[in-house]
This record gives sequence, structure tokens and C-alpha cells, in this order.
Amino acid sequence: MNGLLSLNRKHIFLADDEVVDPKKYLEESCNPKCVKPLLEYQACVKRIQGDDSGHKHCTGQYFDYWQCIDKCVAPKLFTKLK
Amino acid sequence: MILELTWSTKASNQMVGGGVIQQILRRKLQSQSVATPVLSWFSSKKAHVDAGSSGVRAFALLGAGVTGLLSFSTVASADEAEHGLACPDYPWPHDGILSSYDHASIRRGHQVYQQVCASCHSMSLISYRDLVGVAYTEEEAKAMAAEIEVVDGPNDEGEMFTRPGKLSDRLPQPYANESAARFANGGAYPPDLSLITKARHNGQNYVFALLTGYRDPPAGISIREGLHYNPYFPGGAIAMPKMLNDEAVEYEDGVPATEAQMGKDVVSFLSWAAEPEMEERKLMGFKWIFLLSLALLQAAYYRRLKWSVLKSRKLVLDVVN
Repeated sequence: MNGLLSLNRKHIFLADDEVVDPKKYLEESCNPKCVKPLLEYQACVKRIQGDDSGHKHCTGQYFDYWQCIDKCVAPKLFTKLK
Repeated sequence: MILELTWSTKASNQMVGGGVIQQILRRKLQSQSVATPVLSWFSSKKAHVDAGSSGVRAFALLGAGVTGLLSFSTVASADEAEHGLACPDYPWPHDGILSSYDHASIRRGHQVYQQVCASCHSMSLISYRDLVGVAYTEEEAKAMAAEIEVVDGPNDEGEMFTRPGKLSDRLPQPYANESAARFANGGAYPPDLSLITKARHNGQNYVFALLTGYRDPPAGISIREGLHYNPYFPGGAIAMPKMLNDEAVEYEDGVPATEAQMGKDVVSFLSWAAEPEMEERKLMGFKWIFLLSLALLQAAYYRRLKWSVLKSRKLVLDVVN
């Protein structure tokens, strides 16, 4: 349904030998900082829900949201990697 | 006449340094210069009014302008996906002016390339000997080279033969030629990666963002069968599927092989492959910029010393009354 919210949750802290991808973890933790573009995206999804012409899409709002997330994640990611 | 007056007052004011007055005068000049072409256009229109075609021409020009504007606005809405999502800047360990590559990362990155990418992407400009001293010892590199079969020849009998690889051999190519590569990948050519971080705008960040950026497409976008959605790829539909998955590779040094870790390592490897001279270049650059700055100071002093004779000349007017 909403592609953005279907984040793969296979990397939860289950066992000790379970690896958690730091990028996915940081993207989730940056979510609260980017609520505004996320709401804009969800509003757009709702707006185009009934559309069958195939011309309407939410790329703009999607890009705004992911640009916000990327800006938040990028400075912190490499500190979590070797 | 009026123009002449404004010029002279402007000149006197420049000597005085009245900035505000200058601006007012400039504005007067500008309004005069704008007025004259408009007046001339009106007069020319009056001259051609009998032909009747000028009105139609003006209308046609206006219509063309409006159509152009409208078409531009519809094209502009497709621009975002067309250029791809702008990738962020990651703080690469080799970014500083005196920072070297993380060679452990290059070694891991080569392992990722070999096990994940080499099945489709060639790196035909890199030889096994290039890896010696960078990511592997000579013995390790020799052993790696010996694992591949290389076509060599012709021998004394005129036949081509195969032999195990040597240090001097290039990294093996997955396909014989571009056509074979396209045929095996649905018409898309997996590019050679030897220079990829220099061949793409903001290459290092772009490749990392691309490899780790496979996501579900936004609402309203559907990707055809055979392609995959990646927002960083221009157009959004890329032929390569997501290749970096957690623990796809088991690192020799025991580092956990998460998607982000593999992405960082493989981009470090690709950066080295595209710019192996980087470390030496930075050292040379630092040294020579420092020395040339000293030379500049010396040259400036010497120039001023020599010119001081002329620059400290004085004129004496000796008037006899």
C-alpha cells in the first residue's frame, strides 16, 4: 500500500548474532525529524488514490522526504561502520 | 544637450564622491536609454501599420512564447526523476587534504567486488600487480591471479593456449564483448568499473547512495518487469537489481558485512581503482603548494625591492619667476 511505511523489519535486535544494518537503523531513527515531508507525501498518496490515468505520481514529495532523511543520516552513518 | 549636462555633473560628483547623487543620475540615464528604444518601436510600428503583417507577426510570436512556456512547465514536472535524487555527501575517510585511503577497506571492497559484482562488471584497466602493496601482499596477489585462466599465445605451433594467470594479467572480464554483456542482461550494459567514481558526477557518494538506495517506488510510479526502482538513478528505473544484502559476503577480518559496510568498502575500492595516485598526489600537492607559497613571498619581496627605485621617484617643479 504505502511503500514508504513498509520498511523491512528483518533487522530488529533479536539475537546477539543478528546483524543490524546501520543505514536502515539510522533512517528509522531520523524519521521523527522528517515528519513534515512525510506528511506531505502521505497527503499526496491520498490525493492520487482514485486516479487511474497513470499520470499522477508523488515523486516530488517522495524526493523531499528522502532528501531530508539522507541529510540526517549521512553525517552519522560512517561512525557506525568500520 | 540634456545628456551632456548629466554627464558633466556626474563627473564632478565622482570627484566629490556623492554616491546617492550618482545613483539618481544613473537612474535618470537608464530611464532615458530605455525610453528611446520603446519610442523607436512605436514609430516603426506606425510606419509598418499599412502592411498589416506586423500585427499578425506579433501575435504569432506571442503565441509561440506562450506554447513554449506551457510545454516547459509540463516538462519541468518530469525533471526530478530525470536527474535522479541528489545524493548526500558522506564523510569518506580519505576526504581530507592529507588523508590516505583506508587500505583495510580497499581489501574488503575488492572481496565484495570479486564475489558480488565481478559476475557482471568488468574492471579491465586494473591488473593483479596493482593490488600488491595496496590491498594484498605479493604472494596473495599471485595466488589470486593463478586461480584464473588466461588465453595467451600464439605458441610455436601457431595455436592459442590457456595458462593460469600471472601478476601482470588484467582482472578477468565476465563477458567476451559488449553485445554478450547486453544479451545476458536484458539489453543493458553493466559498465566497466575501473573509472566509475570519476565517470559519474559526485561519483563516490553517488555509487554508495545507489548501491544502498534501493527502495519501494513512490505512489503512482510503476516500474516495468525487468527493471528496478532506484531514486538515485536518473529516470528511476535501473536494470541492476539490489546486489548488496546483509551478510552476502563473509569478510576475512571478521567485520560484520552489513549492506552499508559492504557499500562503503566497495566504494573505497572503486575510488582507489579510479584514482590510485591519490595519496602521492596529495603529498606532492601539499609539498609544492607550501614551497611555492614561500617562493611567492620571496618573489613579491624581490619585485618590490627592485621597483622601489622607480616607485619612490619624486617630481620637482623648478619654476623661475
